Amino acid sequence: MAQLLINGKTFMVDADPATPLLWVIRERLQLTGTKFGCGMAQCGACTIHLDGAAVRSCQTSLAQAAGKKITTIEGLHPKGEHPLQKAWIAEQVPQCGYCQSGQIMQAAALLAKNPNPTDEEIVAAMTGNICRCATYLRIKRAIKRAAREVSS
Amino acid sequence: MSPELSRRDFLKSTALAGAGLTLRFTIPGVDTASAAASFEPNAALTITPDGFVTVHITKAEMGQGVGTALAQIVAEELEADWKDIRIDYPMNDPKFGLMLTGGSWSVNWTFDSLSRAGAGARMLLIEAAAKQMGVAAADCVAADSRVRHLPTGRSMAYGEIVAKVPITRTLSEEDLKKIALKKPSQYRIVGTWIPRLDIPEKTNGRAKFGIDTFLPGMVYAKVAYPPTREGGKHTSVDDSAAKRVKGYIRTVVNDDIVAVVADTYENAVKARDALKVTWNPGSYANVSTESIFAEYARKAKEDTTSPAWVEQGDIRSGMAEAVRTHEATFTTDYVAHMQMEPMNCVVRFENGVYDIYTGSQFQTMAVGTLSKKLGVEESKIRIHQHYLGGGFGRRLEPDVILEGALIAREVKRPVKLIRSREEDLRRDYYRSATLQVLKGGLGANGKIVAWQNTLVAAYPGERYGGLDDKGRDQFSLNGSDHVYDVPNQFVRAIRSETGISVGYVRAVAPNYTFFAVETFMDELAHLAGVDPVAFRLSMLGSTPRLASVLKLAAEKGGWGTPLPPNVGRGVACVTAQEKKSPTWTASVVEAQVDPTTGRVRVRRVTCAVDCGIVVNPDGARAQIEGSVLFGVSNALKEYGTVANGALVQSNFHDYHVLRMDEVPDVEIHVVDSTEYPTGLGEPGTTTIAPALSNAIFAATGARVRSVPLLPSRVLKAIQQKA
Repeated sequence: MAQLLINGKTFMVDADPATPLLWVIRERLQLTGTKFGCGMAQCGACTIHLDGAAVRSCQTSLAQAAGKKITTIEGLHPKGEHPLQKAWIAEQVPQCGYCQSGQIMQAAALLAKNPNPTDEEIVAAMTGNICRCATYLRIKRAIKRAAREVSS
Repeated sequence: MSPELSRRDFLKSTALAGAGLTLRFTIPGVDTASAAASFEPNAALTITPDGFVTVHITKAEMGQGVGTALAQIVAEELEADWKDIRIDYPMNDPKFGLMLTGGSWSVNWTFDSLSRAGAGARMLLIEAAAKQMGVAAADCVAADSRVRHLPTGRSMAYGEIVAKVPITRTLSEEDLKKIALKKPSQYRIVGTWIPRLDIPEKTNGRAKFGIDTFLPGMVYAKVAYPPTREGGKHTSVDDSAAKRVKGYIRTVVNDDIVAVVADTYENAVKARDALKVTWNPGSYANVSTESIFAEYARKAKEDTTSPAWVEQGDIRSGMAEAVRTHEATFTTDYVAHMQMEPMNCVVRFENGVYDIYTGSQFQTMAVGTLSKKLGVEESKIRIHQHYLGGGFGRRLEPDVILEGALIAREVKRPVKLIRSREEDLRRDYYRSATLQVLKGGLGANGKIVAWQNTLVAAYPGERYGGLDDKGRDQFSLNGSDHVYDVPNQFVRAIRSETGISVGYVRAVAPNYTFFAVETFMDELAHLAGVDPVAFRLSMLGSTPRLASVLKLAAEKGGWGTPLPPNVGRGVACVTAQEKKSPTWTASVVEAQVDPTTGRVRVRRVTCAVDCGIVVNPDGARAQIEGSVLFGVSNALKEYGTVANGALVQSNFHDYHVLRMDEVPDVEIHVVDSTEYPTGLGEPGTTTIAPALSNAIFAATGARVRSVPLLPSRVLKAIQQKA
């Protein structure tokens, strides 16, 4: 039995310690904002925070996550009003929306470390996250908008 | 039964859908109980006593913002206050007619009918309110979800009217046709920037995709797939090891499928992997990229009997008249959908009914296919629509829904089926690899007098019942029938099935047809010694709107202005998605080529578009941005290679798509227009490969005629030139 601390709540999970955290979060705990895209850390759709760092939950095992502070898109902000979430709406970023939880979590980890990223830093941080609808230009704009809000 | 996919039949089907627009009032009486009922004047909308107007969106929401756009169309003529508008995505029902989302058709096909649905409802609301207030309907107007009696200023809100007034009158299709619709100058919702209704929940994890479905007692299934894309079949299945996997529930083996069901996704994977299946790989086991293109080339050379797709003038005399001729062969590779949400569904089979939870682009086909295959009436198949985590044509196909149903039928518990990315890519229906041999003849006046194209491709149309009487699939040929004024033309359509399943991938045939047409046009322009923009314009006399966007793209894209070394500009203009309902689109692409590696960087795309009336300006821009960048991804990076009858690539590490580090600047210019609207989901995509190929030529003098424009291909072309 593994104990997980997700979005400030404790969950007991009975699963093989090698189980990818992604499947535990999504299919067992039904926190479905975290998405399955590739299963091999190539697309970023499953990005969550583990002790504040952006990680791919498809490549993080249950054992690795136990005892750490896990944040999913549902827990990024209690009302969904993180500066990035507001900026995502203001810039009308999502199209199909499937990758956007991962994009936002990746961007949130970037801004937490670097509140004023340059274009190059944004690209470097975000290139692991695929958006097949190609909303990249708006993602970039939304990150800059959120950065402005955070720093002002 | 597959619905016919021909244009004519599509229109027939949408006319059927129009029958659903006959206004019927389902509120039978005036008593309080019935007064509390909803008002459903037609299949498009419901007005409830609380004043909310729910617009029923029968198109799939896969990122186009279609729900918001279609609701805007209804709200405009309904004279509804936008804050009262809600949308839902109803379950399949014959009253909705053809339920299909694709082809950039949604706004184009529904603009008139949804406008009339809104207008008809408004008319009847005015009549009902007038009766209730005891005034003449002619003295009443509707605005902001209220009917107002002008002489007295008395008014009733739509919710109040619905709650109180019995409405028995119905409007026939004829009545609806007679309604005078607003002029574009009177629009206050159409053409307005309205934030998309689906966006907030796509920022907080609450948006529900098919994969987010959970039903009580649900179990997980994994399918064992044959090694080849087509024609493989199991000959024996040994599940003794699978049975020992923790959480194993059962094995499903029948003529159609081999699958395992377990308590969790991971256990289902383990159990499926533990199956020992012997496969007969079928007749395509030796198919490879090389064998496919060799067959294509042979057919292009030898086939003289396949039907013409375009035949105009006399190609022989045209070529004979030419003072110069030029021939070139263009190829394009397989392209996969790679929508971010792998194919999945949840299916529950209970009391003879299949409840299917998924995101579908083509409910009508799914229902028809399942009904036939499962031997049940169509009414027993209910598709509960969800958001689509990308469609791009992939979710037109009912394959995974059928697998889920076949398994659920035997398991008698709700079954969740999720494909891995590897399964998703290897079991995709790809955009066909193609080969096109073009031959052009320039007359003494420097203009094109003869144009010939031999187009070899595999056709998805048969699966959709969409081949015409000559065996042609218009959706595999569109675009090769370009609009340039060329007196003598001949396009031969050669079908070549390969054992690699093909389907419809965003922008479909115009990706490869316009690649060949617009690159070859550039070649002929250079041969004629004429600027490529001017050369095109000289032949666009019969399509002034295309000429206008071409000029606009050239002007805004800095056509003719100086560039640094190894940087070039290329242009392309198209009539995608279909010549009969084109969105006039032109792009100028600016690209930098590294002559030592062949690596191409797209610096800037300037795209000019005339799509008629724009329903939601920001949504339109988003669609153009997305379609252009999808085109950049296709043109630069994407290809599937085939070995042993299946795709070699398996995931995003070897099937590369565009990421943020290669995104160019995109500048969009949308022409202000009051013409009937056309679609925006695809046209931009089709301009990029040719414009980029032309830009590479402008930068290096090397012509690359194979998409994607990989560094190895660019380098080879540079070396051949030197």
